[in-house]
Amino acid sequence: MIKVEHLTKKFGNNEVLSDISTEIKKGEVVSIIGPSGSGKSTFLRCINLLEKPTDGKIVVNNQELTDPKTNIMKAREQIGMVFQHFHLFPHLSVLDNLTYAPMKVRKESKLAAQEKAMDLLAKVGLSDKADAYPSSLSGGQKQRVAIARALAMEPELMLFDEPTSALDPEMVKEVLDVMKDLAHSGMTMAVVTHEMGFAREVADRVLFLDHGVLVEEGEPTSFFDAPKTERAASFLEKIL
Amino acid sequence: MNLDFSQIVPYIPFMLEGIWVTLKFVFFAIIFGFILGTILALFKINHVRPLRWFADAYTSIFRGTPLILQLMIIYFAVPQLTGYDITPFLSAILAFGLNSSAYVSEIIRAGINAVDRGQTEAAIALGIPYRQRMTDIILPQAMKNILPALMNEFITLTKESALVSTIGYLDLMRRAQVVGADLYRNFEPLLFVGVLYWLMVMGLTIIGRLLERRMSVSD
Repeated sequence: MIKVEHLTKKFGNNEVLSDISTEIKKGEVVSIIGPSGSGKSTFLRCINLLEKPTDGKIVVNNQELTDPKTNIMKAREQIGMVFQHFHLFPHLSVLDNLTYAPMKVRKESKLAAQEKAMDLLAKVGLSDKADAYPSSLSGGQKQRVAIARALAMEPELMLFDEPTSALDPEMVKEVLDVMKDLAHSGMTMAVVTHEMGFAREVADRVLFLDHGVLVEEGEPTSFFDAPKTERAASFLEKIL
Repeated sequence: MNLDFSQIVPYIPFMLEGIWVTLKFVFFAIIFGFILGTILALFKINHVRPLRWFADAYTSIFRGTPLILQLMIIYFAVPQLTGYDITPFLSAILAFGLNSSAYVSEIIRAGINAVDRGQTEAAIALGIPYRQRMTDIILPQAMKNILPALMNEFITLTKESALVSTIGYLDLMRRAQVVGADLYRNFEPLLFVGVLYWLMVMGLTIIGRLLERRMSVSD
């Protein structure tokens, strides 16, 4: 599904990602964890080319995104993304947030887009908020709308960039629950998170990044219980 | 006190007609300035450097020289160069529109920059192409924030429009001067058109308030 080969990203002379290679299979849920400043978010943002890799290859669904000939806007339609700060369109109602891109980019009819949007809102438990504006929603509700908005494009893959970090503690669960349902439905997911519970319980694999280096990757139980590297062990010691 | 408003009564229809004459070219100048200003603002934030240079140079010239000079150049100097005998009406729209676009472009540029960068990223991640991203996502949010500044610019343009009296265009201002010359009394007609200008600006202010209220439904 996703193949990352020798990915390197520099901001000026500052190397934020060094030579990262990994693979995410179809239907797999991968958590990306690590201390702040380790390059987790940058790694995620490189997958849909919100950040342009300095070097290396990103292949999604057999399409090389880093190839200059690739129509990157078209490729992004199949990659949903959820941000830490939601980034809902504040001047559009919840329903319009969900139908705008399907209608304008995928050329769906208004009726079809609205029907799908209502389905998705039901799935995230917000059917009654269709006509509300984002400013009237709580953080947890905003994030659930943001997830539904990304799903409305019927992506093959979902990227989550610290989806619960900006939420009040009591709202974290409602968002994680939606993400769990999504994981169980077979969606391919890459999740940058500080929620170790989620990583341990839901993820099929954990990637541990530190200083831009992919230090360790593995299946969550063994990673959390018996990390192989010193750096992962000391990180886990601090946060668990 | 030597005030006698009864004397200007016969001239009132003549002066009132000036409202229409002034509004006609102010309206077109505002529209022209707004469209050109938006395009210039998009140039200023474009990653193609020559477009940025062009827009910056444009702004520098039109903000850096007097409006009355620009008006005179368009009305008196351009015909000398091209042989095309431009009407005062067209010169006024051109001069005021070109001048206003320089200010409007700065206002809009600031407005676009003030929209959270995350909005652009969210739109990019959804695969929304540049044009739709700008017209449907970024500009509507920018417009909401800069509406008061834009209304200010339109009000300034409406008042500065009195400068066209210098190229013989029979606008509100010029009509007051004509009446003043006819009556040998200047205070009454000048005061009269002063009130008319004030009323026009009040009208614009009210339109601005209504727009602002309409745009804040999402708050």
